[in-house]
Amino acid sequence: MSIAAKRALFAIAFVASLGVSNSTHAQEKTVKIYGFGAKSGVVGIFGQQSEAAMQAAAAIINKSGGVTLGDGSKARLVIDYLDDRCTAEEGINALRRIASQNDAFVAIGPTCSNVAEPVFGILQKKTGDASDSGIQFPLYTDVAAKGGLASISQWAFRNVPSEANMYKAIFEWIKATKPELKTFWGGVEKDFAHSNATFGVIKAQAGSNGLQVLGQSEWLLNDTNFSTQVREMRRANADVVAISAHPFTTCGVLKEMARQNVRPKLLVGLTSSSSMETLQGCAAQAEGLIIPTSFAPVTDQAKQAAVAVQAINPKYNMDLHNAAAFENVFTLKELIEKNKIMARPDSIQADRVKMRDALAAMKETQGLLGKVGRTDDREAIKPYLFVQAKSGNWVVAHTPKQ
Amino acid sequence: MDFYLGLAQVIGIHSLLGLSAWCVLHTGQVSLAQGGFFAIGAYLAGMLTSMFQWPLGYALATGAVSACAVAIAIGFPALRIKGLMLVVATTAFAEIIRLFFFNFKWRVAGPEGLVGPDGSLGFGGIRYFPANGWSSFELNALIWSLVAMVMVLLAWLDRSRVGTMWRAIGEDELAAQCAGINLTAAKVSAFGIGGAIAGLAGGIFAHYATHIEHGNFGILLATFAIAYPILGGLASLWGTIIAVIFVQGFLLEGLRFLGEWRSLLFGVLIIVVMIIRPSGLLKASLGMRGRLNKAAREPEYRRDQAKSGTTDEVHHA
Amino acid sequence: MDLLDLIDLIQALTDGVLFGTTYALIGIGFTLIFGVMHKINLSYAAASIGAAYLSLVLVNLVPAPIVYLGAALAGGVLGWLIYLICFRFIPLENPLATLMSTVGMLLAIEELISHLTLGMPQNYPALFANSNLEFGSFFLRGDLLFIFFLGCAAMFALTMLLKRTKLGLATRAVAQQATAAQLCGMSVSATNGATFVIAGLLGGIAGSMAGAAIGVLSPLMAMPLTVKGLVVTVIGGLGSIPGAIIAGLMVGGAENLFQFLRGVSERDIYVMLLLFVFLTLKPGGLFAAPGGRD
Repeated sequence: MSIAAKRALFAIAFVASLGVSNSTHAQEKTVKIYGFGAKSGVVGIFGQQSEAAMQAAAAIINKSGGVTLGDGSKARLVIDYLDDRCTAEEGINALRRIASQNDAFVAIGPTCSNVAEPVFGILQKKTGDASDSGIQFPLYTDVAAKGGLASISQWAFRNVPSEANMYKAIFEWIKATKPELKTFWGGVEKDFAHSNATFGVIKAQAGSNGLQVLGQSEWLLNDTNFSTQVREMRRANADVVAISAHPFTTCGVLKEMARQNVRPKLLVGLTSSSSMETLQGCAAQAEGLIIPTSFAPVTDQAKQAAVAVQAINPKYNMDLHNAAAFENVFTLKELIEKNKIMARPDSIQADRVKMRDALAAMKETQGLLGKVGRTDDREAIKPYLFVQAKSGNWVVAHTPKQ
Repeated sequence: MDFYLGLAQVIGIHSLLGLSAWCVLHTGQVSLAQGGFFAIGAYLAGMLTSMFQWPLGYALATGAVSACAVAIAIGFPALRIKGLMLVVATTAFAEIIRLFFFNFKWRVAGPEGLVGPDGSLGFGGIRYFPANGWSSFELNALIWSLVAMVMVLLAWLDRSRVGTMWRAIGEDELAAQCAGINLTAAKVSAFGIGGAIAGLAGGIFAHYATHIEHGNFGILLATFAIAYPILGGLASLWGTIIAVIFVQGFLLEGLRFLGEWRSLLFGVLIIVVMIIRPSGLLKASLGMRGRLNKAAREPEYRRDQAKSGTTDEVHHA
Repeated sequence: MDLLDLIDLIQALTDGVLFGTTYALIGIGFTLIFGVMHKINLSYAAASIGAAYLSLVLVNLVPAPIVYLGAALAGGVLGWLIYLICFRFIPLENPLATLMSTVGMLLAIEELISHLTLGMPQNYPALFANSNLEFGSFFLRGDLLFIFFLGCAAMFALTMLLKRTKLGLATRAVAQQATAAQLCGMSVSATNGATFVIAGLLGGIAGSMAGAAIGVLSPLMAMPLTVKGLVVTVIGGLGSIPGAIIAGLMVGGAENLFQFLRGVSERDIYVMLLLFVFLTLKPGGLFAAPGGRD
């Protein structure tokens, strides 16, 4: 092929690919809820499971007739999930792409906290501020959990657990039920936004609940050697050890602790690590690890939801992250119906504003473990309980009073 | 429409990054440090506008100049090392910069609480563009006028003596030295100019994303930076732009419909492009620019192979 | 610094040096390929981890040593595949093209691993995991000692291969002067392919050893091993195998030492500064290859 012909072919392919959209041209009426998050890469499981949960919720809704739109007609709920690969640039691109669709009026996501912060940053900060050229599109986050992000913009809403509350509760419980534990040592994964920020909370709560903070060990997300850190831990010989890290380094540290015979009386973990990943990597060493979480299959709805996700694809489970996505779809369905959202191309701008105002006006939502409260800065007050790793499974250790 | 404008902004920022790498690659130095200069420009420009309310122009210029200064400082020791060692040394340098910002904390009181880099938690609140009501169109105009400015500058340099010096050193250092070319001046100037362009790109990126953290400036970014000129072909500036459009527009955004397979295909397609067009997508330059770049030839790295004389056989591994 | 701190210091150093065997093996792989082809294979560490992942299929079927052997063999196969895909068809005159193609391969391997394992860390068997030689409060980790000796055995085998076999002779000949080797009747492409296979075998061992030392495998391991491997190669001297060995152990020890002294946030800064010190004082590396090529 000549160079010119090759170039022409390439140009055509490129333009064609840019124009390919994901919308379906179905005969029946559809209403779309978009989602975006990390579907590939090391943390790809979060986005994949969120999408599965959203599709499970949509399937249940569609089975019972679909969503009633503003003009009384029934529409089938469709989920469209974009991959942002946990990078800020692609997250921004994904949001821009969603916002430019004429059938998009709300999106669930992102999954990574380091994407959420820039994505919320490009939204309009205060509604009605005409001098602010930020994007005007409501987001209802399911997974990105770094503290305080929703306050960045009035278009950002989150349904993530408040780690400040959960760790306060767990350390109060430890103080009440195990008063013989006196000292605390922390371990933190320093270069991941979520684990680093949460560790501050963990340390503070441990200290204000009577534990003497002896110190902390630090490591990085892709470290391969934890012997120095665990040796410090061993020297300190604290009663309670808290590890604020994700499954890979949590397992690395736990295995090193087993090697060096470091056996604290109590192990506390990071909320995100209360998933199958940790048990897949190091079930034996994680035995007894207690983690506060906002999901466990303890209520009927929770169990049904877990089954529904597995029906979408057996390799996916339900955990605290995609449970929020599941809840969000149902919440949004209610809001669409209550606020008579039309979901038509000519009403789409108004729909976005309606949706944002509706999300802001919510006082509480229905969660899988009970009612979820809302705060003034657009965060959630989720019911939580404590789970413990026992023989390769997460079992409920305690359900505190909320 | 807003999406395409947004994509154009990303392509513009990456084009600047690619052009900065083109500069340095042209003299035969493979430098993975462009990510580090990008980071310096990003943090500095971001800090100046969000913490000290500087106007954007001055902030971007300061970012670019500082990155240039650091690049020149790096350029001198880099003279002593070549090839793979330079690759590793520049990687190490970029990592040092990233780790510096990983530890860097400086927060001042802003209108709504503390603002400033917060170490490993990142640096948010760089909301100059949305807060001042810049539309997507205006932002694009800014970015692409900067790209055009840089391209004109580089094309002019390429036509002039400087460009000839750079290309000569890129092809054969020893011969260039024998011809009386000042190796130090050429290499350091290439490094410096490349650093300035990368710093400029970084400054714009910080304002585009409104939140930056150390993770944005890792080895992957540096690899992308040199990938653009290599994929596009070192012979012409337009090659770099085409490569950026190819990677950002086609591979990353255009292939979204492939879902999970997009990421897998990304690496595979890069390999395919390199096998099919080892000298880059654009071997010769496009149209009018071709006359400007007429003297530019593909650098041929025939270091160990004895010239094969009359036959033009190509050696395979 | 009291006695306990001193013991901790020595402990950190020892653990680091023993773990540094993995860096040494990766460094040898990089330097071998560079010495023979004067090209960098940036996907080498990723392929090593990939080989360890491939050996996971054997995990519950055979004892651990066979798993490691499986990883080595998988590494050899992967090495040959990488040669075929990334190097064979790209003309030698475009070193930048092979640089890019190996970058593409690195991204593809990482992504493939994440895709197939859903990004979840995979348990990896370790030998002598719980046996330590204890001397009071100082102890030598059994599994690290095993890694160290296995690494030494691999390096010894490699040296024997290079010095005593025809293949090794061909490798050294092509490394010195490819055209002359061709004139002597050696097939350059076959030798290059064989070099990749040998490097791949070493890489497979390195990957499985890294997995065994940490206890879990994750795609996150590929990047840091690549960077440290490159640092080791450069400090040791491009094309020099003894250099890579010593540099590997040194970097492993230095890394842990810096972490002990200055904490994890600054550790890598000092490792990179160490590299710069070497580049300034001894640009050719510890053992510059004869002919002093770049």
